[in-house]
Amino acid sequence: MKQSILGRFGIYATLTVICGILLFPVYWMAITALQPVNKLRQYPPELFPSDPQWGVFRELLARQPFGLWMWNSTLVALATMILSLSVSVLAAYALSRYRLRAGASMGLFILTSKMLPSTLLVIPLFAVFTKLGLVGSLWSVVIAQATLIAPFATWMLKGYFDTISPELEQAALVDGCSPFGTIWRIILPVSAPGLAATALYAFVLSWSDFLFARTFLATSQSTWTLNVGIATLKGEYETDWNVIMAASLLASIPIIIVYLVLERFLVSGLASGSEK
Amino acid sequence: MATIEFRNVSKTYGGGAVALSDFSLSVADGEFCVFVGPSGCGKSTALKLLAGLEATSGGEIHIGGENVTDHGPGKRDIAMVFQNYALYPHMSVRSNIGFGLKMHGVPRAEVARKVEEAAALLELTDYLDRKPRALSGGQRQRVALGRAIVREPKAFLMDEPLSNLDAKLRVQTRSQIVMLQRRLGVTAIYVTHDQTEALTMADRIVVMRKGLIQQVGSPDELFHHPANMFVAGFIGSPGMNFFRAPIERDGEQVFLTFCGARMSLNPAADLSGLGDEAVFGIRPEHVVIGEAAGGPALTVDLVESLGTEKVLHLALPDAYRMSLAGTDLGGEKGDVQREGLLVRVIDDRSFRAGESLPVRFPADKIHVFDPRSHQTVG
Repeated sequence: MKQSILGRFGIYATLTVICGILLFPVYWMAITALQPVNKLRQYPPELFPSDPQWGVFRELLARQPFGLWMWNSTLVALATMILSLSVSVLAAYALSRYRLRAGASMGLFILTSKMLPSTLLVIPLFAVFTKLGLVGSLWSVVIAQATLIAPFATWMLKGYFDTISPELEQAALVDGCSPFGTIWRIILPVSAPGLAATALYAFVLSWSDFLFARTFLATSQSTWTLNVGIATLKGEYETDWNVIMAASLLASIPIIIVYLVLERFLVSGLASGSEK
Repeated sequence: MATIEFRNVSKTYGGGAVALSDFSLSVADGEFCVFVGPSGCGKSTALKLLAGLEATSGGEIHIGGENVTDHGPGKRDIAMVFQNYALYPHMSVRSNIGFGLKMHGVPRAEVARKVEEAAALLELTDYLDRKPRALSGGQRQRVALGRAIVREPKAFLMDEPLSNLDAKLRVQTRSQIVMLQRRLGVTAIYVTHDQTEALTMADRIVVMRKGLIQQVGSPDELFHHPANMFVAGFIGSPGMNFFRAPIERDGEQVFLTFCGARMSLNPAADLSGLGDEAVFGIRPEHVVIGEAAGGPALTVDLVESLGTEKVLHLALPDAYRMSLAGTDLGGEKGDVQREGLLVRVIDDRSFRAGESLPVRFPADKIHVFDPRSHQTVG
């Protein structure tokens, strides 16, 4: 059925408004970063800086250990992504393929753990990490993040594995593949879109963590992640909002890179052609 | 190439559902054996047990004289073609065909040579570097076959490999599979619910129902000498007509009485164990119709014309109707409730609904069944 011009206009108009709402904070972050300090509070504000202050980035990198924070955040996000994916791939495969005695309730129990707010877990985790001597180490944030991400990642991947025909694995088994080899050689490559989506979810969630990093890494400046570092840029009496916004802009670049790298895997339909 | 033996194999799933019970069968080296039966009869389960994809609950499976009951699928030296082909979507046709060889540690150069040979045999050479998604249904089916033949296994197992092809391609491919199997001389077990496939492809057919073997035999044996009503109804298209009728005895001679007419039964058959009534079966193509038949007249309800072939639906008087509902006999759903008498005619005569046609059942074509056990009598 052909869509009416009015209907199509309505859809585009709605999408434009939604995109505008979503992108406005990014735009505001960019112009705030590039405005001279004295124009930050002027009214009406300048919608496009007439004299962009590119030097703010140089100033940020010179004054703060921004590279170290970025490195720490990258390590945490990558390690969280790898750890939570390693756990959830195996858990999701088991939930999807094996008839476990308490499979359904176990699946729900795993999901329930995702419902717990992070704030509820901070204190017990802090106590555990203190005993383990992990407070101040990036591992504390990695483990804490992975415990939150793995349950949901398991569900995401289980849903994806459910869509893959078991006959694909049976064919591999008949061809002489071991059960683990079947996961490695067949299931994981076929699940690339699902894995990419889950990896992106894990990376973004870990990258944007503030609560765990602020709690577990507060005493150890050398292990601060970006979000903890940026938070310290806010002074008690004076705050350089343009510097904070410049740091925030730089902090969002890795997310965009990860998305661009994973984007080609995110397109669905890789499995098409395996069957009839 | 190898013999295959099922020795009292059974399979019971959790919850007590019996999929296969006391299944014993011996398949000769190089034989093309077809397992046929309606959904849920256990034919695919038998194949999966043979492949090692499921564990048996009892009994033994031997391939080439070796007890493989506890071997994993990769250790049984068999190849399997799946209903949905199960091609690896992320691999090229070349990698798909060569995957099994690679897993068995065959040197790369030999893998390449064997893949090329299999591709040439199946006319896939031009598609070796394509992904499965870039192939048509028929080509994917050939890739699945290539994956099976390239390993030169002891046996081919095929689980309804033609069911996803259109009717024309299915007819074409089934003859290709038979020719390929004969050429390679590999023992093949083929599972289907389509009795036409079974009749046209098999050296031997195993008819199954509710996890039990109903009859094992050549296509001709099953067609002409079915062991019971289930096999009689399942094999043949349209399936056999069944009706109840009283039996009359005149000395040694036994007759069936149909619409007031006496029709003699095969004198060679031993019908001494029957009571006063029996279930009779006659294939649609064996019913003789027209004035020359000289039997009782039945009214034509419907004429289905398939060109030179016609299927006539004749009204069967209530007293003779045999409702198969509830008995779980017959083949697919449509056959089970059939209550008229079907006649298959291959000539140029024209028929119309409402006309009366005299019918006769040749004595040597009538099948007699016990009304309680549904087994063939005589």
